[in-house]
Amino acid sequence: MIRNYIKTAFRSLQKNKGFTTINVLGLALGLATCLLIVFYVVDELSYDKYNVNASRIYRVNEDLKLGDNKVQYAVCMAPLAQTLKNDFPDVENAVRLKRISGMHVTKGTESIIEDNVLFADPSVFDVFTLPVIYGDKKTALIEPNTVVITEAMAKKYFGRLNVVGENLIIDGNLQKPIKVTAVIKNIPEQSHFHADFLLSMSSYPDSRSTEWLRSDYNTYVLMRKGADYKKLEAQFPQFLRKYSGGQMQQELNMSYDTFEKNGSFFRLNMMPLTDIHLHSNLTVTGELGINGNIEYVYIFSAIAIFILLIACVNFMNLSTARSANRAREVGVRKVLGSARKHLMFQFLAESTMVTFIAVIIALAAAMLVLPAFNHFAGKNIVVNSHTLIWLAPSALIAILLIGFLAGLYPAFFLSAFNPMQVLKGKISAGFKGGALRSFLVVFQFSISIFLIIGTLVIYNQLHYIQNRDLGYNRNQVLIIEHAFELGDHAKTFKQEIKQLPGVTNATLSGYLPTTSNRSTGIFYKEAAVDPKRSLFPQIWSVDEDYISTLAMKIKSGRDFSAQMPSDSNAIVINEAAAKFLGFTDPVNKIIFRSSGGPNPTYKPYTIIGMVKDFNFSSLRDNISPVVMQLNADNSSLSIKVNTANIPALLSQIEAKWKDFTPVHFQYTFMDQDFDAMYRSEQRIGTIFIAFTTLAIVIACLGLFGLAAYAAEQRTKEIGIRKVLGASIATIAGMLSLDFIKLVCISILIASPIAWYLMQKWLQDFAYRIGIGWWVFAIAGVAALFIAFITISFQSIKAAIANPVTSLRSE
Amino acid sequence: MLSLQHISKFYQVGGTRNFVINDISLEVEAGEFISIMGPSGSGKSTLLNIIGMLDEPSSGYHYFVGETVHQLKDKQRSALYKKYIGFVFQAYHLIDELTVYENIETPLIYQDFKSTERKAMVADMLDRFQIVGKKDLFPAQLSGGQQQLVGIARALIAGPKLLLADEPTGNLNSKQGEEIMQLFKKLNKEDGVTIIQVTHSEKNAEYGSRIINLLDGRIESSKQL
Repeated sequence: MIRNYIKTAFRSLQKNKGFTTINVLGLALGLATCLLIVFYVVDELSYDKYNVNASRIYRVNEDLKLGDNKVQYAVCMAPLAQTLKNDFPDVENAVRLKRISGMHVTKGTESIIEDNVLFADPSVFDVFTLPVIYGDKKTALIEPNTVVITEAMAKKYFGRLNVVGENLIIDGNLQKPIKVTAVIKNIPEQSHFHADFLLSMSSYPDSRSTEWLRSDYNTYVLMRKGADYKKLEAQFPQFLRKYSGGQMQQELNMSYDTFEKNGSFFRLNMMPLTDIHLHSNLTVTGELGINGNIEYVYIFSAIAIFILLIACVNFMNLSTARSANRAREVGVRKVLGSARKHLMFQFLAESTMVTFIAVIIALAAAMLVLPAFNHFAGKNIVVNSHTLIWLAPSALIAILLIGFLAGLYPAFFLSAFNPMQVLKGKISAGFKGGALRSFLVVFQFSISIFLIIGTLVIYNQLHYIQNRDLGYNRNQVLIIEHAFELGDHAKTFKQEIKQLPGVTNATLSGYLPTTSNRSTGIFYKEAAVDPKRSLFPQIWSVDEDYISTLAMKIKSGRDFSAQMPSDSNAIVINEAAAKFLGFTDPVNKIIFRSSGGPNPTYKPYTIIGMVKDFNFSSLRDNISPVVMQLNADNSSLSIKVNTANIPALLSQIEAKWKDFTPVHFQYTFMDQDFDAMYRSEQRIGTIFIAFTTLAIVIACLGLFGLAAYAAEQRTKEIGIRKVLGASIATIAGMLSLDFIKLVCISILIASPIAWYLMQKWLQDFAYRIGIGWWVFAIAGVAALFIAFITISFQSIKAAIANPVTSLRSE
Repeated sequence: MLSLQHISKFYQVGGTRNFVINDISLEVEAGEFISIMGPSGSGKSTLLNIIGMLDEPSSGYHYFVGETVHQLKDKQRSALYKKYIGFVFQAYHLIDELTVYENIETPLIYQDFKSTERKAMVADMLDRFQIVGKKDLFPAQLSGGQQQLVGIARALIAGPKLLLADEPTGNLNSKQGEEIMQLFKKLNKEDGVTIIQVTHSEKNAEYGSRIINLLDGRIESSKQL
């Protein structure tokens, strides 16, 4: 019996090649898109799960509130890890990681800058899962000046894997040989931190610090099996008071009680390891890498579901529409003795079969475009046996579920026909179930219009972010990195560069709006430690050419000047800082810094100028207070250039660089760095647009099929109308009108929902656009236009057909 | 074999009843070959459908091979129908997607015959109708007469006691029609199949053993040949 069904189904599909193609391809396209998003989402959700103990590992974060200043750190104090291990039996182990960027590793005569260098406690192997290929993980990181490297690094520096016992020269300044004690497997892509080199923590003197008021170390805790981290967290306030209270009294001359009474606090909290990638975004303050965002996971999951729904609705709509053509077959089968359940089964089997074909095509297509998608999304997703473990069953479930849902309506609807009526042709016209089909079309188009509006808003917001006046000029700024390699010659180097033709200005400072080089400090309004009258800004060390090189605007007062020796005690603040301090005109006001210790002295700083607010972190955030002071910071040299021939200028600068230091010359452009800051947003925008386009294409495929079907159903009517003298235009209009009405209803439904949700999304941005009416107008007109084009093709085709043939065929 | 007593079929239109079949009583013995005639709208097809249990009368009593049809549930009626009745249509109503062979085989599938049995039965039927050479063709590749032949073969495949035919020659030319009527006659005589056919043609009606004339839902006359 099943063979008979399959045969009928297959031949019927073959007979209606056009429909079958639209149906199968539409579904396959939807499924493939959906699958890619699922890959993306699964990848995002799989971060750090490679750790066998992932569910028991927590990162300790720190919240600090000082007066009205609030900061969140992903790093903690140096002694915390060991103390937690000593004091709490629930803590099975703890490890500290400390990232040092821009370390030099020597290979032959070359000095290569490596960014993924971490100092780590020996317990890193007990907490995280880092399989050792060569060496002994128990002893690997105990001795000072030892390093564990990944297999990739072993190959890079030695050209082979077993390099235990070899020496590496790490960090150009020290020139100290570091012994390789173990080679580990590469850390998986899906890890919130990426380390190529794990240096023993004992090589880092600061790690023995006993300071409880300074946070520098990413600290991870492995809880004992069955222990509740909430219970541990509850003990933290007492714990902190115990250890930091004394130092606070000493350093700040303030008791822990007074500190807390002022409304300030110091809190530790635990973040599950697997939450870090998607839920933690403390980039400025100590994340080990760029994290993802759970919001995007939600948005993409929603899009995946939308696309799947649209594709399924298409499939259902077309199957149902087409199945009316098969009413006669149903009638015959019933007369031949088929029970209703046989017919239902037949239709379900058929739609399952089509779904099966579509799923196979979708899988193949998804695999095919995966490399391109990876490139787009900045991912490195691979399909392996691991993927198949969840993919195979889900594909099977998808086949059964979609097949069932899509076949459901025809199965119930058609199997209920009265055979005699069908065979007499009374229901053969049966474009019945029109209400359901209309509902489904409205549903589909509502989603499509929603996605169009969403895309427009997201695109505009991203455009706005990138073209907004940021308060500085990032164009034509060349950044020479690692200028500290020049040592004392940095200033000379800068002066010589400034002489070059094509160079307008140059400034030595690592504190740039586009880098993550940041430090913070406390200022007081009076010469006393009073958190209520304090400012907790970023403190940027700059030189006197900084503001002019970056074309920042002085709102009041003046810029630093080399001619004014007193400027060493001067500061320039941004508008946010002035606002925080409550100064309408801050120029010539004085604020203080404490020297710390039991009897602190206070150093006064005169505010000489206020710079217009400029953006230096994500535009999602408000601009926070910044204080600039004249201080030597040689991290990088930013050069404002004014020439079309950048390569020539670059080679000149490189020649100069070579005169000073053998270290590799490395540069970037500020606008590129800026783009990099928003790359994830960019990518999201691109992916979003791509998926929306696909969703609309799929919806249109469905509409195309339905329009074709409607036209076919009404062939006789069209014939009669033409004989009665209707023009092609009237007929095409008549056929299109039905669908256009539905699209109009969709616009009305989708617009308010889209408005509400996009408004919510925009709330996340400190700097955002408003949603104008024109967004809805464009979306509506676009949807109508696309729908009209799709339908009119079929309508006109039906309208220009010769009425004689259509009438005779009846 | 079959007994209809005071069968009526009507549609309620506003306050009045529109009778399609108006109080018809009819007895059919096994082995009869009945032709139902009458102008369009006289209720011929409806009567045939009621006999074939594809339509339900509004009132009256219906007995078939000793069963009280009007008291049966849908399922039982369907089982009864499957076992005893074969149907032939004016428009053949073959399934376009199936070959000749598969079309003939379909009723057997619904009656749960085993694959080997089906093969033998269909082969036998193809042989008997001399259409073995056409078994792999699709309906669209056959002439009208050939299609109707397949339709009859399909109606007979499960060995029905009663063959119902709704204007079986209506779409055929006179020569093809005659062949079909000869076939009916042969089936009736040699195989003892009871046949009830609806027809417009006086000539075709005369192949039967009894002619019933309907007018406005009533039996106007009945003539034994």
